[in-house]
Amino acid sequence: MDRSLRARLEARFGEVLSGPIRQRHDETEIRIAPKDVPDVLGALHDEPEYRFVMLADLAGVDTGEVMQVVYHLWSDTTGDWLRVIADGLSREEPRTPSITFLWKAAEWMEREAYDMFGIVFEGNRDLRRIFMPPEYTSFPLRKDFYLADDAARSPGGGVRPSERSHAPRNSPAGTVRRVKA
Amino acid sequence: MLDDEVGLFEPIQPNPPRTEREAEFYTLGDGEMLLNVGPHHPSTHGVMRVVMKLDGEKVVDLDPVLGYLHRGVEKLGENADFHQSIAYLDPLEYVSSLFCEWPAVMAYEKLLDVEVPRRAEYIRVLSGELNRIASHTLAMGFQALDLGGITPILYSFIERDEIVEMLAALTGQRMLFNYFRIGGVNGDLNHDFMSRLGDWMSRAATQIEANMGLLNENEIFVRRNRGLGVMDSETALRMCWTGPNLRASGVSFDLRRAHPYSIYPELDFDVPTRNEGDCLARYLLRLDEVKQSLRIIDQCLEQMPDGPVMAKLPRLLRPRPGRAFAAVEGPRGLYGIYAMSDGTDQPFRFRIHDPSFIHLQSFTTLIPGHLIADWMAINASLDPIMGGVDK
Amino acid sequence: MTAISRTWGRLTLPGKVVFTLVPLLAVLGAGLIAVVVLFGGAAADLVTANLGIVRFAVAATVILVITIPIAFLNIYLEMKVIALMNLRVGPDRVGPWGSLLSVVHGLKVLLKEDFTPTGADAVVFTWAPVVTYGAAVMTLVVLPFAPGLYAQDFNIGLLYFFAVGGLGVVGLLMGGWSSYNKYSLLGGLRSAAQIISYEIPLTLSVVGLLILAGTMSLNQIVQQQSGWFTDWFVFRQPLGFVIFLIAAAAEGNRTPFDLTEADSEIVAGFATEYSGMRFGFFFFAEYVNVFILSALTAVLFLGGWNAPFPVPHLSIALDPGSLGIPLLFLIALVPVVATVVLALPFYLVRSSMRWWVALIVGFLLFNVAAGGLIFAWAFISFPAVAGLVWFLVKAFAFVFLFVWLRATLPRVRIDQLMGFAWKWLLPAALLNLFVTAAAILVVGPRA
Repeated sequence: MDRSLRARLEARFGEVLSGPIRQRHDETEIRIAPKDVPDVLGALHDEPEYRFVMLADLAGVDTGEVMQVVYHLWSDTTGDWLRVIADGLSREEPRTPSITFLWKAAEWMEREAYDMFGIVFEGNRDLRRIFMPPEYTSFPLRKDFYLADDAARSPGGGVRPSERSHAPRNSPAGTVRRVKA
Repeated sequence: MLDDEVGLFEPIQPNPPRTEREAEFYTLGDGEMLLNVGPHHPSTHGVMRVVMKLDGEKVVDLDPVLGYLHRGVEKLGENADFHQSIAYLDPLEYVSSLFCEWPAVMAYEKLLDVEVPRRAEYIRVLSGELNRIASHTLAMGFQALDLGGITPILYSFIERDEIVEMLAALTGQRMLFNYFRIGGVNGDLNHDFMSRLGDWMSRAATQIEANMGLLNENEIFVRRNRGLGVMDSETALRMCWTGPNLRASGVSFDLRRAHPYSIYPELDFDVPTRNEGDCLARYLLRLDEVKQSLRIIDQCLEQMPDGPVMAKLPRLLRPRPGRAFAAVEGPRGLYGIYAMSDGTDQPFRFRIHDPSFIHLQSFTTLIPGHLIADWMAINASLDPIMGGVDK
Repeated sequence: MTAISRTWGRLTLPGKVVFTLVPLLAVLGAGLIAVVVLFGGAAADLVTANLGIVRFAVAATVILVITIPIAFLNIYLEMKVIALMNLRVGPDRVGPWGSLLSVVHGLKVLLKEDFTPTGADAVVFTWAPVVTYGAAVMTLVVLPFAPGLYAQDFNIGLLYFFAVGGLGVVGLLMGGWSSYNKYSLLGGLRSAAQIISYEIPLTLSVVGLLILAGTMSLNQIVQQQSGWFTDWFVFRQPLGFVIFLIAAAAEGNRTPFDLTEADSEIVAGFATEYSGMRFGFFFFAEYVNVFILSALTAVLFLGGWNAPFPVPHLSIALDPGSLGIPLLFLIALVPVVATVVLALPFYLVRSSMRWWVALIVGFLLFNVAAGGLIFAWAFISFPAVAGLVWFLVKAFAFVFLFVWLRATLPRVRIDQLMGFAWKWLLPAALLNLFVTAAAILVVGPRA
């Protein structure tokens, strides 16, 4: 847990943070709005006192209420992982700027987030489905997409006819899991 | 112009193209043709389809198409217990399953604030390094097989078979081990495992060196690999490379030293690095890493403490809501799990970061301008495992 | 009968052809024997009148038929030797030590579905394997297997060999083009480039030998190497030998030059769309080619059917008729006595062996011993038998070498392969030629 990192981040990015900086074990977490992602990540990558040159992961998250894009960064200036959460993407039309200008490898990771959640990354030259077939219409990792065994009760709809059956809609599985996370 | 006349068996060109890149790729120049190095192919390290734009034998561009092995593991993990979700992770990088389970148990231990007994950590490192050797020998053997040498792969399998039998004595399974548990490992070391390990360690180093000696100085092998697929360190970092591929390009980044976890701070080993960044450097680096792993195994055996191998945990695990990220240095690179919990006994989000997925992206950087045979060599040297790529 | 009709229904067209021709030929052969027996004199006169044609017909048939056991043996050897080098076991079940496996494979390909892929050019697709196989078989016509044991002795034998052998590439190209498959196309083009590039070092490397020998007839080249093994051309043309060996490996599409059928790259190259007996033809042609190239190496550089030392001409004249009545006793008693004598040790030492099992073992051993004795007598008395044995030993030594290379080496890339042929082998072959010619000028032609 790197307290100095927290202090530095608060000093540098205090205005754009949309929540307190949380630290637990060996991770430091900051939350920003999607529109600030290119600036903040660019600063974290380029500035010599941060040098977060390694993008360890880019993940999409569906919290049930909003969508998030979560970046994990590593730097040799600190012993913590830095987690940057771009919070507050709407579940109906999630859009966020792409960071392929910083790390070219983000292209496929953003494609995967698009394929699984429907998050549109603006600036990604190749935003098409990566795992699912190109004609697929649903986004599988969304919380309103249930697995095939109870996909019938999913408001997100199943894709194949076997996923659309006639079970009642008010069963417990028909509720979307939500979390404030 | 998009090609209007399509032959009987052309790869299906999307019309209209969905993205810029697709339009650019599927526009054929004069004399170029599209070849489907299809999901059925002896050398794609799994089921992967690569649409190659060829000018004769020279590759002009590539478009990897993934998803043939997509099993929806992230979604399945959300519908299972914390304990059950670990077993879903084994088939991802099936050649090195322990490294798939390890970051997950580490992430859950962070969520639950569990401390792992020291003996369990030592056993984890011991079995992990054995798995790393097994994976690396296999990768080297496959590198030879893809180039046409049919003997080294069988010598590699001799090594791998001995290690895998050892791990079967320890974990009960030869390949998808399901051995790590939240808070420790599933069973202590036993006599069968220790005797096999002792036998093998006494001759491992020389045997592996002798097996790979068939290739190291082979003129044909060296000429086909030297200077091929060169990745400089700056581009490698931009392409988020990790693991032996990154270290062969001159960047000395090893998660065991850069962000130490488990008991690696107490162990003494070097991080081999090479500067050339070509396929031969990646091959030789894997050989170096095998030697370092043998050193680590020696130290684990000497320093192994007594104690329990599993922390005391309730059967029903309900961590408080939170998020955790953990990553280990797998044989292919940084293998990471980002786990979110919402207070119930099932993970809320279970994100898997696989290094082969990242390395496959570099095809479009490394291969255009080379021949089809070079694609084979570069693919083999990057050592992707499609189970992990497709999740 | 239903078993026969079921099996007949499952056969492909080539299978039906084979299973019709073989009984037909057997009947014809029996008829021929009957004719000879009944009309012995007239038949013998007919044969002697047309000896040339009869000899050629018999030779051509033998050559066509002999390629099949040679190919089977080569396939089995390759599987077994590569397996042993890989520390595996290889074929193990079918026949003793798996030796009948290739026979079973041959029968299997006859039972597979016979199809032409959609879009393929059917005529060219069908004739491609025939051309390749035919080219390989036709080269066997000039190979001298033993003194007096050759089909034809052209005085341009070597030229004929290279000319006809080079026709094989036409078949590969036909197969690659007509398959309507990009992998086949790539394989066919690669093979054309490779074989054509390596034809030139192949032929140039033996020109030095031709100057030394003064003749293109393979039979005479072998005769010039009689005597001690130091007379073999390999000691007079070492560079030519090495170049020839490398170029022969490339000609035969063998590793390290097997990128025309590189399994890990272009699936099966030109043969991707072939299956069943069509693929069987390509496969056979390749293995016959391996044998032919090895045999040619043995003939040109290692003395062909000559023994390594000059053999004194012995002949053990056996005239069984001179023994008279004792011959009958010999024929009646020797097998029985030998069987019992050879069976006794087994029966006495191994207590678990029953007496009739011991007798069977003894009988088998007697057969082996008798066969060995007869073979030794033939080896000493008939130069043809001795020559054939030496020829086969040398040819299969090179077959083993090619298989060994396949087990050990990875393959080269197409541009490295072409570069090697044009930039290294061709100048080396020319150098060899010039040095030989200069040496002859300086030293003077040998008698």
